[in-house]
Amino acid sequence: MEPVNLFELAARQSQWLSVRQSAIAGNIANANTPGYVARDVEPFEKVLDRAAVSLSATQAGHLGDAATNAGFAVKQEETTGSILPSGNTVVLENELLKAGEVRRSFELNTAIVKAFHAMMMAAVKS
Amino acid sequence: MDALTAALKVAASGLGAQSERLRVVSENLANAQSTGSSPGADPYRRKTVSFVTELDRATGGSLVEIGSVDRDPSKFPVEFQPGNEAADEKGYVKMPNVNVLVEMADMSEANRSYEANLQVIKQARDLISMTIDLLRGQ
Amino acid sequence: MIGGLGAVHLKPSVGGAGETGLAGSGASAAGDGATTFAEALGQAASKTVGTLQNAESVAIRALSGDADTRQVVDAVMSAQQALQTAVSIRDKIVSAYLEISRMGI
Repeated sequence: MEPVNLFELAARQSQWLSVRQSAIAGNIANANTPGYVARDVEPFEKVLDRAAVSLSATQAGHLGDAATNAGFAVKQEETTGSILPSGNTVVLENELLKAGEVRRSFELNTAIVKAFHAMMMAAVKS
Repeated sequence: MDALTAALKVAASGLGAQSERLRVVSENLANAQSTGSSPGADPYRRKTVSFVTELDRATGGSLVEIGSVDRDPSKFPVEFQPGNEAADEKGYVKMPNVNVLVEMADMSEANRSYEANLQVIKQARDLISMTIDLLRGQ
Repeated sequence: MIGGLGAVHLKPSVGGAGETGLAGSGASAAGDGATTFAEALGQAASKTVGTLQNAESVAIRALSGDADTRQVVDAVMSAQQALQTAVSIRDKIVSAYLEISRMGI
C-alpha cells in the first residue's frame, strides 16, 4: 500500500468537514423555505476512494482549491423523513446532530495534527 | 472565501430572516385587536412572511432571505360589539384575522430556528479558532 | 508518514518502502532523484526554500484577507518542520566537518 501523508489526509478531511459544515448551515438557515430540499456532502470514504492514487503523492496543488466546495460534491439528500406540505425536507434535530459529529471530528483532526506536528519537531531537533 | 466563513455568512442570513419573521409576528400580536376607525371599515390584516433561498455567487452558500411580506387573505372574523366605532348598522365589528395561538406557535418556531442558526455561528467560529490554535502554544 | 516532512524528500515517494525519514536519507539519496549526496542535499535545500516561500506567500495573502485559514496553518506548519529539519541537518554537517578537521592526518 502506498504510504499516506498524514498531514495531507488531515488537511483533506478538514476541508471536507468545513464543506459539510457549510451544507448544514444552508439547511438550518433554509429550514422554513418552501421547496428547499436538505443537502449534504458526499461521504468521506467515497472521496478517499477517488483520491487513493493522488493522496500519497506529495502534490500540494490539489489542496489549494479556490472553489468553496473544494471539489466535493454537495447533493440533495434522499428524504427518509418527513416532507412538509411546503416541500421542505429539513429536520432541525438531524442537522444539529450532524453538526455535533462535524465538531467532534474536527476537534480530533486538529488534535492529531497538533500532536504529530509536535512529535515531528521534537524528533527533528538536534 | 473558505467553507467555514461561508457557513458563517449563511447562518447570519438565517438570523436576519428569523428576526424579521419575529418582527412580523410581534406586529400581528400587537394589532390583534386593532379594528377599523369608521363603521364597516376593515381592521388590521394579518401579515405573513415568505422565505426564499438565495444562492450566493461568491461562496456557493444557500443564503436565505425574506422574499416578501404579504397579507393573509383569509376572511375577517366578526364580533357583535354595537358600541364600537367600527360597528356596522347591525352592530357587528370586523376583527383582525389574527389568531393569537397561531402567532405564539409561530413565535416559538421562529425562536427555535433562530437558536439553531446561532449554534451554527458559534460552531463555525469555534472550528476556525481550533484551526488557528494549531499554531499557538509551540 | 515521517518521510512526508514536506521539505526533505530525498527519495521520490512512489518508492514506498524506502522512505525511512532522516536516518536513512543518506543511503536512500542515491535513488532516481539524485546521483550524488551533494545533489540530494541541494534538492532538499531547494525544497525547503520552496516550502518557506510558499508559507510566506500564503501568509501574505491571509493578511490581505484572501486565504483559507487551514491552508495558512498547514503551510506554516510545513515551513516550521522544513526549517527545523534543515537547521538540524546543517548542525550535523557543521559538527561532522569540525570533527573531521580535528582528525590528525
